[in-house]
Amino acid sequence: MAKEKPQLIINGKRADGRSMEDLRPIKITAHVLNDAQGSALVEWGNNKILAGVYGPRECIPRHDASPYRAVVRCRYTMAPFCSLEEHGRSGPNRRSHELSKVIREAFENVIISEAYPRTQIDIYMEVLQSDGGTRCAAITAAAVALADAGIPMKDLVCAVAVGKIDGQVAVDFSKDEDNYGESDMPIAIAPRNGDVLLFQMDGNLTREELSNALEMAYRACAKVSALQAAALKAVYDGPKPQASLVLGNKQ
Amino acid sequence: MEIIKELKKDALKRILLQGKRQDGRHMYDYRPISIQKNAIPNAEGSALCHLGNTQVIAGVKFDVATPFADRPTEGVLSTGCELVPLASDSFEPGPPSPESIELARVVDRGIRSSGCLDLKSFFLEEGKVLALYVDLYVVDYDGNFFDAAALAAMAALTCTRMPKVEEGKIIRTESTGLLPLNGKAVTCTFAKVDDHKLLDPSLDEERGMDGRLTIATCGENVCAMQKGGWGAFTKKDILECVDISSEKSKVLCSLF
Amino acid sequence: MVADRPVRLPYCYVEKNKTYASVLSLLSEDGRLVPLCGPYEPMLDDYVVAYVQEVRFSGYNININGAANAYLSGRETAQKLQLGDVIYVRINSVDEVKSVELTDARILRGGKLIETDAVKIPRIIGKKNSMIGMITAATGCEIYVGRNGYIWVSEKGNAKLAIETIKMVEAQAHISGLTDRIKAHLDAQKSAPAPTN
Repeated sequence: MAKEKPQLIINGKRADGRSMEDLRPIKITAHVLNDAQGSALVEWGNNKILAGVYGPRECIPRHDASPYRAVVRCRYTMAPFCSLEEHGRSGPNRRSHELSKVIREAFENVIISEAYPRTQIDIYMEVLQSDGGTRCAAITAAAVALADAGIPMKDLVCAVAVGKIDGQVAVDFSKDEDNYGESDMPIAIAPRNGDVLLFQMDGNLTREELSNALEMAYRACAKVSALQAAALKAVYDGPKPQASLVLGNKQ
Repeated sequence: MEIIKELKKDALKRILLQGKRQDGRHMYDYRPISIQKNAIPNAEGSALCHLGNTQVIAGVKFDVATPFADRPTEGVLSTGCELVPLASDSFEPGPPSPESIELARVVDRGIRSSGCLDLKSFFLEEGKVLALYVDLYVVDYDGNFFDAAALAAMAALTCTRMPKVEEGKIIRTESTGLLPLNGKAVTCTFAKVDDHKLLDPSLDEERGMDGRLTIATCGENVCAMQKGGWGAFTKKDILECVDISSEKSKVLCSLF
Repeated sequence: MVADRPVRLPYCYVEKNKTYASVLSLLSEDGRLVPLCGPYEPMLDDYVVAYVQEVRFSGYNININGAANAYLSGRETAQKLQLGDVIYVRINSVDEVKSVELTDARILRGGKLIETDAVKIPRIIGKKNSMIGMITAATGCEIYVGRNGYIWVSEKGNAKLAIETIKMVEAQAHISGLTDRIKAHLDAQKSAPAPTN
């Protein structure tokens, strides 16, 4: 049965008590897997996303290789058990094919791929639990995993979604806000020079709202970026630890 | 293939530095557009759109379907896309490529978020709704299939006949009039090459571009956007493109 | 950011006349950049430890832990190599598309190949071979350290201790006072009873 649209803003606060500009709690852990060259776990609200990176390595099949640069490959998939709804199908669907493509294009911009011709770099993102804004959390995780793998990059990409709920521009939507909001705009930027690397939008926005939303996204990305840097620093705080995955289980 | 691409890119950039485009257009000019409605009379709605040498056919069909569990009172809108192998040497038969999925989903989002379709009116009875299928066939590819496909899809919707429905079955030979629409959604696609932004990139421009930005507008509002390619856009670029596209969209809407 | 002028350095890139680090690195006060991780960049005349991945008609494809395999021509080696042979080899040329050719191969028989991060190799070797010399002396092993991150340790001597110590250097390479800690570790192990097998 369809749920009625819940009220998303109550007394100027959002349903989970956040203000318009607040992000959900974000925990980023780098270096969680042993075999992957680089890895990261991002727990963003109730999202749990695992990213792993391999490469640069020999490009297979060989005819896909480029004499100019390394080929970047991305695979974004959602685990069959990741949502509150019915059992999903494993493997990529149409949505994840599209997301894999736009995420790949965002990273192709920052990875210094010219240094490794005829090779490939693989970025894998697995959504273990989803709660709105998975693509932004996945990009955030993949960027940390790339840095952990030591892939030369121009910048550490970070991402956040902005949009409109109950007529107001706000940042980082939860599942309900995503479903019942008027507009959703995921955006990934390179924090050093402010370049927009991934940009999607649907729903309705006026020119004015769009401009506000962009400003808000930049402020939120700065916060995410600081968390990413801290996560990478933590790996080297002491002796580099054995990698191990620990999932938070609070609801 | 890869090497030809680099050579073309060099040539493209040299011309852009002189402030010109290869085919003599202004930076924010479209190629000639023509739209033929009802190109496939068997379909409930259809249109063929020429955008320069790019040609896209859109067909609209209705079916009876079960609604999505989370929206039991709404009809289903489904947009598919086929990059037909005869359209270009870079299109291959086989499962849909990421490019074709992206195209279908961007056009779908433009139509859906503009609110031009009233999906609630497709409700038939408990557990039964009308499904509206928009299928896009790119048959000749010379760059910018986004705008061509969005125009073809929208034009096809404006001439779609609502089929008569009796006892939960579609009677395709009889019609109850045209599909009602609230407004039209169109897209404007920009290519970014170095610091230049070009509206409606041709195939050569598309092969040489760094990034792409598609903006769907409906009336005064922006209703969907999508960036593609590895090149970056700045905040200023995005707002400029939005301004240009809201101007151009009036012209596009007057074409059909 | 490493410098506000263009400098050519490994693991760096230049944009708008400024130099930035491209991998996670430490920047020392005198402006030296120490990368913490990163792939192996083959350089001319590097000695590397590698293994034969594919035997071809006129030579061998060699895994050198780099982005792409390297090629060792049959003419460059007197010995006949077999699939899986571990060799100590010099890089003869690197061209603009990073194709690597090798020469002066020497087969390392028996022993154990361990993988470390290529950027940690300078610490494992130490100043004027001090670190690796200390490990060799304490364990009695023959050790070949490749610039590419692969290290070969002979069977004779206390190989278990040698490998354990090398892994320890790798994990703590970025923390100061490393030499003293490793020395203490080796001394403690030496005084302990030798392993039974």
